[in-house]
Amino acid sequence: MSFFRRKRLFTILIGFIILVGLIGFSLRDRDDLSTFEQFLHDTVGWLQSIVHVPVEFTTSFFSNIDDIRNTYDENQILKSRLNEYKNLIYEVQELRQDNEDLRNILEKTESITDFRPIQSTVIARGPEQWFQQVKINRGKQDGVEANMAVITGKGMIGKVQSASQFSSTVLLLSGFDRTNRISAYVNSEELEDDVPGFIVGYDEESELLELELNEYDTKLKEGELVVSSGLGGVFPKGLEIGTIKEVSPDRYGLTQIAYVQPSADLNRLNHVIVVDRSIAQPDEIDGQSQEGGE
Amino acid sequence: MHRFYLPFFLLLTIVIEGVAYDFLPRSLVAGNWMIIPHWLFVFLIMITIFFDFEDTYYSVLYAIIFGLIVDIVYTNVIGVYMFIYAIVIYFIHGIRKVLHTNVFVALLSCIIGVGLADLGIYIIYYFIGINDVLWNNYIIYRLAPTVIANVLFFLVIYPFIKRKLIRWSSQQFDIKK
Repeated sequence: MSFFRRKRLFTILIGFIILVGLIGFSLRDRDDLSTFEQFLHDTVGWLQSIVHVPVEFTTSFFSNIDDIRNTYDENQILKSRLNEYKNLIYEVQELRQDNEDLRNILEKTESITDFRPIQSTVIARGPEQWFQQVKINRGKQDGVEANMAVITGKGMIGKVQSASQFSSTVLLLSGFDRTNRISAYVNSEELEDDVPGFIVGYDEESELLELELNEYDTKLKEGELVVSSGLGGVFPKGLEIGTIKEVSPDRYGLTQIAYVQPSADLNRLNHVIVVDRSIAQPDEIDGQSQEGGE
Repeated sequence: MHRFYLPFFLLLTIVIEGVAYDFLPRSLVAGNWMIIPHWLFVFLIMITIFFDFEDTYYSVLYAIIFGLIVDIVYTNVIGVYMFIYAIVIYFIHGIRKVLHTNVFVALLSCIIGVGLADLGIYIIYYFIGINDVLWNNYIIYRLAPTVIANVLFFLVIYPFIKRKLIRWSSQQFDIKK
């Protein structure tokens, strides 16, 4: 009997050692997933994309009924806005043409605003909510790489955490911390220059992003737009992140922290776009360590 | 052929866990509540009770294999689900020897098992620094809703799964003997 007890104790101890080893293996800074992990991600991802179809059909069916009930009111509002947009489109086209012409004169054809969109669908959301992750159905074969920004039509939702061959994992903005900051700026209406800063984390209680401003004495107002600056190395310039909710001094009173409401709805995600920055990285490795490492 | 049913259904449960979030009503998702589907674990508990005999440890083996898959596919840290699922299933396998197998015992071991598993996962993640949720907040916002939701899942699948498991069990072990 005592022999069995000892054997059991040994098994549990060995299990514990394996656990610590595996945790250590996965917590260190890994650039790429191992082949085995990629294989599992892709297999499960393939099954998920099959299961996802009927699930999405049923869940969207009920929200569609809700939508139909509001259709008339929305239609009225949209009609009234339509004329404004026509003018705006004309203006934008003019400006774009202008910009292109000027760039041609300068012979500077590349810009950090340019990106190649990779359309993809969210096939699953990680059930463990301490890791804010979703899975998408595009992988390395479609050009997705780790650390690329991911957006929806409304704004940024996160970045690619790891890419397998046919599927990838996206870390949502709500899971960001100091190790994956985004270089951003506030598009202020009153001040002439844009106000630079870093998105350094996510406040879970208020569900707002924390934007650490580089300068102490800037006056920002509620509702001003926060956009990615493209200076971090991986994300292109001009992706909408959110709007400012409130500004307060940080714990030590040295900088200001602005709380930012993300533009995109992080709870219901369906179609997303992976952003592949077109311009060549000045120093690929340097940029990545700035964005992901530290 | 019946040998492959169980692993296939377990893999399917993992896949379905990934879309569970879509079924939750918006008011729950947007609030502070955290409801974690441990459906794979509920399935494993039923395997322990209705499939395994006293001297067979298929449930523990499946807990190790499929816990590892959950770790790799849904989290960044490998090993936590694997270790916790395996240990708690082993514990329930031990309890099962003392008690009769009926619906109340199954329900009780589901409540205790899911509670223990989620608690273990919380403790390990807390030590590695994945979360910094305080003890009392964790119990109110995550442990309680998670246990309730998983017990509901258990009650839904119980009538369908129980008979199948008993049948597969008799098929598999008759052939061996």
